Amino acid sequence: MPLSKHHSLIKELESIQAAMEAPLDAETRTLLEKAYALEKWPIAQLISIFERNNTDSLIKRHAISQYLAANADTYTRQATVIGLTGTPGAGKSSLTGELCLSLLKHQPDMSIAVLAIDPSSQESGGALLGDRTRMQLPVNDKRVFFRSQASHLDLGGMGKSTFHVMRLLRRLFDLVIIETVGIGQSEIEVQRLSDHTVLVMQPLAGDQVQFMKAGIMEVPNTFVINKCDEDELARKSKHLLNASLKLAKIHVRNEESQEQSIFMTSATKRRGIDELMTHLMAVREQQQVDQVAAQEEYFLNKWIQQAYGEFGLSLAEYFNKSSEDSGTFEQKELRYKSQIANFLTKLS
Amino acid sequence: MSEKNTAHIMFDKDGKPKSDRPWIFRTYAGHTNVWASNELYRSNLAKGQTGLSIALDLPTQCGYSSDHDIAKPEIGKVGVPINSLDDMAILFDNIPLDQMNTSMTINGTSMWLLSLYIALAEEQGVNIADLKGTTQNDLIKEYLARGTYIFPPEDSIRLIVDMYEYCLHNVPSWNASNICSYHLQEAGATPVQELAFALTTAITILDAVKERNCFNEEEFERCVGRISYFVNAGMRFVEEVCKMRAFCEMWDEITQERYGVKNPKFRRFRYGVQVNSLGLTEEQPENNAWRILIETLGVTLSRNARCRALQLPAWNEALSLPRPWDQQWSLRLQQIMAYETDLLEYPDLFDGSHVIESKVADLKEQAYSEINKIIDMGGGVEAVKTGYMKSALVASQGERMGKLVNGEQVVVGKNRWTDGIESPLVNDSDGGIFMVDADAAQKTIDALNKTRAARDETRAQAALKRLGEEAKQSKNLMEVSIECAKARVTTGEWSDTLREAFGEFRPPTGVEGQALSIESETLDAVRKKVDAFIEQHGYRPRMVVGKPGLDGHSNGAEMIAVAARHAGFDVIYFGIRLSAVDIVQSALEENVDVIGISLLSGSHNEITDQLFDELEKNGAKDSIPVILGGIIPTPDFDSLHAKGVKRIFTPKDFDLMSVMNDIMDVINTQKNG
Repeated sequence: MPLSKHHSLIKELESIQAAMEAPLDAETRTLLEKAYALEKWPIAQLISIFERNNTDSLIKRHAISQYLAANADTYTRQATVIGLTGTPGAGKSSLTGELCLSLLKHQPDMSIAVLAIDPSSQESGGALLGDRTRMQLPVNDKRVFFRSQASHLDLGGMGKSTFHVMRLLRRLFDLVIIETVGIGQSEIEVQRLSDHTVLVMQPLAGDQVQFMKAGIMEVPNTFVINKCDEDELARKSKHLLNASLKLAKIHVRNEESQEQSIFMTSATKRRGIDELMTHLMAVREQQQVDQVAAQEEYFLNKWIQQAYGEFGLSLAEYFNKSSEDSGTFEQKELRYKSQIANFLTKLS
Repeated sequence: MSEKNTAHIMFDKDGKPKSDRPWIFRTYAGHTNVWASNELYRSNLAKGQTGLSIALDLPTQCGYSSDHDIAKPEIGKVGVPINSLDDMAILFDNIPLDQMNTSMTINGTSMWLLSLYIALAEEQGVNIADLKGTTQNDLIKEYLARGTYIFPPEDSIRLIVDMYEYCLHNVPSWNASNICSYHLQEAGATPVQELAFALTTAITILDAVKERNCFNEEEFERCVGRISYFVNAGMRFVEEVCKMRAFCEMWDEITQERYGVKNPKFRRFRYGVQVNSLGLTEEQPENNAWRILIETLGVTLSRNARCRALQLPAWNEALSLPRPWDQQWSLRLQQIMAYETDLLEYPDLFDGSHVIESKVADLKEQAYSEINKIIDMGGGVEAVKTGYMKSALVASQGERMGKLVNGEQVVVGKNRWTDGIESPLVNDSDGGIFMVDADAAQKTIDALNKTRAARDETRAQAALKRLGEEAKQSKNLMEVSIECAKARVTTGEWSDTLREAFGEFRPPTGVEGQALSIESETLDAVRKKVDAFIEQHGYRPRMVVGKPGLDGHSNGAEMIAVAARHAGFDVIYFGIRLSAVDIVQSALEENVDVIGISLLSGSHNEITDQLFDELEKNGAKDSIPVILGGIIPTPDFDSLHAKGVKRIFTPKDFDLMSVMNDIMDVINTQKNG
């Protein structure tokens, strides 16, 4: 890049930084108030701001994050984020739907957001988001909000903006469930943005454990064998999974025993759902470690790697030593961009 | 006539030349309410029609009484509403049940409709063993193509087997179900898929009957003999002739080899037909008269594979619901074919034809291989649950649409020879289309209220309680359903009780993972617009597609969803049987740029009102544009536009990418003012 371009880039970054100084505009503040009161369209519009890839949205994301941090007394919710992933066809959506119904029944004061991710077409870039048809959630019930998202050709079962949307939803709801696209041999990235990861499998998938990378099986805190429509099938599957995990010497991340981390459910016959729900509520109660900082760091590094590669990452380590590490995600993103631009100017 | 040339003559047992009796002439009919439909049936019978084919409205088909919110826009639209035994009595007033052959197009609630029919016969003192007819009752094709299912597959199969068991012992001439490949072809099935999926359905039912083990060997053979089919016939009529011959041969082989049926009479492939509506065009609709005639050839020419009953669509079905005159015109076609021509005088015309035999063998080979594949996957129910068959149909439909656009498949008036003199037929005083009288629905609701007020409430509640209990046990539900009918239980109550016991089912939509092969200049233009949109706004255009109301014909909505993805949209596909509230909530939660709805049942005026009311309530009426697709009569366009519908697409708009182009323009206008 010629020097002049770097200069103009630096100027542009400076103007964005200047724009970030402005407080949150009144219109968005109203939107936020309504969203916190769980009005659906305002929530949806805010999600769009956290999804969109342009400068305006970046500035707004920053302003909203800062505003939420500054008004933590009013915006007190801090959701537990459950990542729900699993093999294609394991019935993740139906299970999520039934789980929500069980929560609404037993935890009537809890607010829940579901973010369901479907794959985008390699060819057209568009996506068919069909998870809504597989859930029968109540209508006009403020306690549960459902949103679909396209993976936009990102690997790891999530989209580019899933992390950002999670940041918002965490502050608006009590519980956030993120349902990824079906995974096979790919990495389970959802663990990086969730407080608790659930892997959903089909019956008799136990002996398939060996076909999956051991790395995947190490990730989940909780295992669910869904579609256990018959008792016999459920017992057999649980036994198989248990045996396979032991054989592969996989230590389940959950502090509890392995036995207590495996659930057998049937979304169609509504079996085992309440037990899973109770388990996840207990997890929520016990949750002590604040993972927000670690999650943010992971996704900041991921962004740097995608934008600047491995060299960018080593530079980031170098820069971090010399600058304080505070502010919103957007500020950090911008600070890094400026540092890179300045660095390159110096080089040339 | 020389002595030796007799191969073209059929002889009776006395050695005299004979000819065949014609098939049963039917007209699929029913509308408005029981009074109007009763009048229609009686006049059709007077015109020489020899059987009844009852069309029921969507609330009745989906198990809702007429006073349910979701029912109101649909009362009497695509058929007659039936709420209780009192309605049934009026529908068949002055029609002798023991002399009728009555076919009912009913699926999710077929046990209920049969129970009403039997209860009516018993109250009239007619011997129920004399009742003849068919309940369609093919739930697999409902999950795949037609959408009036209610319960999960296993429970639906149980109800079907209950009916076979009851009918064989009590109503021996009743066809408890009817395997339908008709709707599969409408949904895009190729002849091979039609053969394979329909025969798989029959195998699924018979396997379930066998598993229940309720019949001895002789009874089971008779039960196999009760399996009948409802088939479609399209424009490629030579292939259709072969398809029907393949059906007959395969059914004979399957019943013999898989089920050991010895009596050839019970292995016979018995089928009724409605010829293809999918190929009928909205453009130059008068051409459809020829198409209907040609499609009729496919199912009548072969004596060895001739239909038992035939019903023809009307020439203007792509425009709206047909009027009585339109139906009469189709009936006349059948009468001319059967009585004016010499068709029925000859033995089979194609025996010994190398061409036909080879084509039949080819279809059979491919169909068997598909059947074996599905059986290996776990059978028909499993293939519904995994979405295998549904995806295959959506893919075939997508391919068909592609061929229409690129001209590989010629349709006169649609993609070739599109200019022509306007038809005088559509310029009648009523615009050539049928309208349902709005006040007639109130009469139905009044009758329902009267029945509820007059009935013995204790008896009705006791019957419902028993129904719920027996549903959870493995008892045959026919008897208790007949008791419910006599106790004046309503359609909604019967269905709700079983919904409670079985749960409701939503099958896979089949649209995910589908790719279109459309490549055209229009596609390039649309994708450029999408790219520009992304550049300007930082995200892909978002669209929600769904079908409000009870109409389950989802092909159009599915194709639009797949096309939108092909164009580069993020599409939220929400499926069928949605309320206006469902659709608006999804649009708000997903923060979409456009709402696309599809309607074929004639309820578009009422449902768009509901939709805009709901948008208004949420302050989004002017923010989210709405587009509409389906069978929408031209005279309704102005009022729909006035209500706020931004674009209307009909079967004329078969070029999916120019539809997407229009939708992109709607979005851009909304965004940029």
